[in-house]
Amino acid sequence: MSENNSATEDVKSQSSGSTSGERADVCEKQSTSRQLVMIVFIMAFATKMFLLPIFLIQTIGRDAYIALAIGGGIDLSALAVFIVCMVKAQTDFFTILSAVLGKVGAKITVGIIGLFLFFKLNIGISETLRFYSGSVFGDFNVLFMLVPLLIFFCAVANHTLRALCRLNEIILPLIVVCIAILITVVALTGFDLANIFPSMQYPDVFKTEAVHHAAWLGDFTPLVLFVGRTKTKKHTALFAGISGTVGTGIAVFFALVMSAAFGNVRVLVDSSTNLSSILQYSLGNVYGRVDLFSSVIWSISTFIESALLYYAACRCFAFVIGKNAHFWIALIAALATYLIQVCAMTDPTVFSVIVTSIVTSVATLTLTVATPALALVCTLVHRMRCEKDVSGGDSKQSGDCIGDATRRVNGENRI
Amino acid sequence: MTPRKKLLIYKILLFLFAFIVAFIPGTVSRNMEVNSRVIVEMIGIDQGEEVEVTAQYVMPLEKEGTSKDVVTVKGSTLTEAVETLNTALGRRAELGHCSIVIVGKSVKPQLLGTLMTVTDVTADVYLAAAQDKASELVSDITEFMKKTGATDADFIAYSAKKAHVATTTLLNFLSDIGGASHTAFMPVVETLEKPDGSGGGGQSGGQGGGESASGQSGGGQSGGGAEEAPIGMKVENLALYAENGRAGIIDRSSARGVAWVSAPIEKGIVVADVQYDGNIIKDVSGRLIKKKAKIKIDAANNKATIKVNATIEPNGDKFNELDAENSDAARKAIKGAFENSIRNEILKAYYDAAEYDCDPLFLGRQFYRYAPDEFDPDYSVDDIIVDAQVNVSLK
Repeated sequence: MSENNSATEDVKSQSSGSTSGERADVCEKQSTSRQLVMIVFIMAFATKMFLLPIFLIQTIGRDAYIALAIGGGIDLSALAVFIVCMVKAQTDFFTILSAVLGKVGAKITVGIIGLFLFFKLNIGISETLRFYSGSVFGDFNVLFMLVPLLIFFCAVANHTLRALCRLNEIILPLIVVCIAILITVVALTGFDLANIFPSMQYPDVFKTEAVHHAAWLGDFTPLVLFVGRTKTKKHTALFAGISGTVGTGIAVFFALVMSAAFGNVRVLVDSSTNLSSILQYSLGNVYGRVDLFSSVIWSISTFIESALLYYAACRCFAFVIGKNAHFWIALIAALATYLIQVCAMTDPTVFSVIVTSIVTSVATLTLTVATPALALVCTLVHRMRCEKDVSGGDSKQSGDCIGDATRRVNGENRI
Repeated sequence: MTPRKKLLIYKILLFLFAFIVAFIPGTVSRNMEVNSRVIVEMIGIDQGEEVEVTAQYVMPLEKEGTSKDVVTVKGSTLTEAVETLNTALGRRAELGHCSIVIVGKSVKPQLLGTLMTVTDVTADVYLAAAQDKASELVSDITEFMKKTGATDADFIAYSAKKAHVATTTLLNFLSDIGGASHTAFMPVVETLEKPDGSGGGGQSGGQGGGESASGQSGGGQSGGGAEEAPIGMKVENLALYAENGRAGIIDRSSARGVAWVSAPIEKGIVVADVQYDGNIIKDVSGRLIKKKAKIKIDAANNKATIKVNATIEPNGDKFNELDAENSDAARKAIKGAFENSIRNEILKAYYDAAEYDCDPLFLGRQFYRYAPDEFDPDYSVDDIIVDAQVNVSLK
């Protein structure tokens, strides 16, 4: 029953559409402009600021922040392309793909994107478990910790994109406050920033290791679900861009601080080392615990990003199989995630081999770049076709521009 | 129910859930009784054939107050010693609240790295050196703390910024040792004993005297209350460390020189003899308001120039004596005297440390940072031409 309810809530045809301008409202907008900006902010720094700086410091040393900045730059480029897609798109991503690539081509493409998102989800979950089992819930078994997390993800996958955006709206202020506290503490305590020098002493090592950590790219890929489904305003693109840039800047800043703190002693960094360890010039117990508390709270942002990855992966799989069985898809994805985590990802060695292999890195980099590029090309082609059809009065083709969305209203292909 | 109310309830439930998730697991997995916990506030480490860990711990009591005592354990490794500490106290000793680590003379820096990685001791814990055995100093400090009511490592936390002492944290120390200068430092803590024949008597502070003689605690040796508590603490000298351990101890004026350049001090007292109008005014003092230090290197000539800018507020009495309000010459004389005093302390630090082949001013690190291609990892600090330029602004 809930499926039917959310199906009608999810996608509604608001207009049969006779002009291209009106077709912008063919899909019900699930996200407001403000919600998009907030989601972009979270995704810009959540996993990049979590354990990635530690992994980079362990392998690259004091140049870790440069590698992270380069990765952030690649992701910001992808974000820029997604934002253009959102502004230009007349309907949602899956409809556009189906119209341009055909159904089979669209399903293959979406399947690949879904697997990519699922892979990134597993990286995020593995990091989260490693941090919390090491720092916060030291006495708790990871296998049990995973269960409530997956229940949360299943709940998210059974709701709409709007619900996830609202959840993010509620939590984000708290996360922003915690990050502000951390930045203040860092500024108050001071740190030897000059310890990041000299830069690029071992360029070969840098290149090799930076490439091997490409699996952390593609954080904005779930934004494909926002294409055509966001109420864009005049300055949405600008604010989303600023939001992504600020979020990336925060991640790079903390990576820089940690690079300066641990540049000389990278062997001492481990997964329990987080922002709380950057206070090398401690102010004593007064500030020491405030930063620890804040670093735990801000890490909730990784739950939000993981939830969005889970939601997006489930929607991709639903499109591929052509059924709106979201409950069952979420359940199967949860079981698969549990098995992957238990059998492979909780082992640091296996995690390292899988995530940092060159095959993984090349595939991730390719999909990080290809997904927004494909989205942009298909969006522009679809838009041109629709405009041409409308001006040419081809009622059959014009109907195809909105046909998929209309079918989804009837529960045939809910996203 | 209106959507607004629903949303409010939703928010409340969400934060409640977050609160439960954040705090319940940590609570249910521990013994709920407060008096069954042991919180370690200070540990001392000695290294010989075995690793010796001395912990000053606090055990909350059912009655009002707490019990503060000392226990010493040994192990073939640090990990084993910490495990033995748990056994000795009969429960898991919580090291996460430890605020200071006292380091014995023979401890190698690598052991401190192990301390950071395999125990719950945090990276921002302060380090202090004992002249010889850390276990003895921890016992003395514990007695002193009982006597004065001081908590944690107040004296060293205060010294970190409010006094002219070069303090360091565990991470900072290890980072310095691992840096290009391969030198680190930590302040030496000494206790002041009551002079012989000055009388004695019992403990001042009934609680301290009563509780300190708690005897054996588990498998460890508990610090005794039989010894008299020190009458004071002294944190003046500085222990220098190289990669293989303690290289030596430099005296007060050299330690001050290191603090000018390598420590984030914000307060302190500067004293100098001022020559003015043909007279020498002894011990003119001033209070440091702020300071900034940087090192400029000239890699081609292997030269390092230490530049220190300090703002100092002269002591009122002596300043009036020099008629400073009406005389620029007096101000100039005081300014010059302070500058000379600071410069001498910095250069003395450099020369004294060079005798131990140590570089606590981190000159080598500057060469490595800004001229890495010309930097020799096996450089000798003696080969660097050092100059100090001090500029004092009187407030």
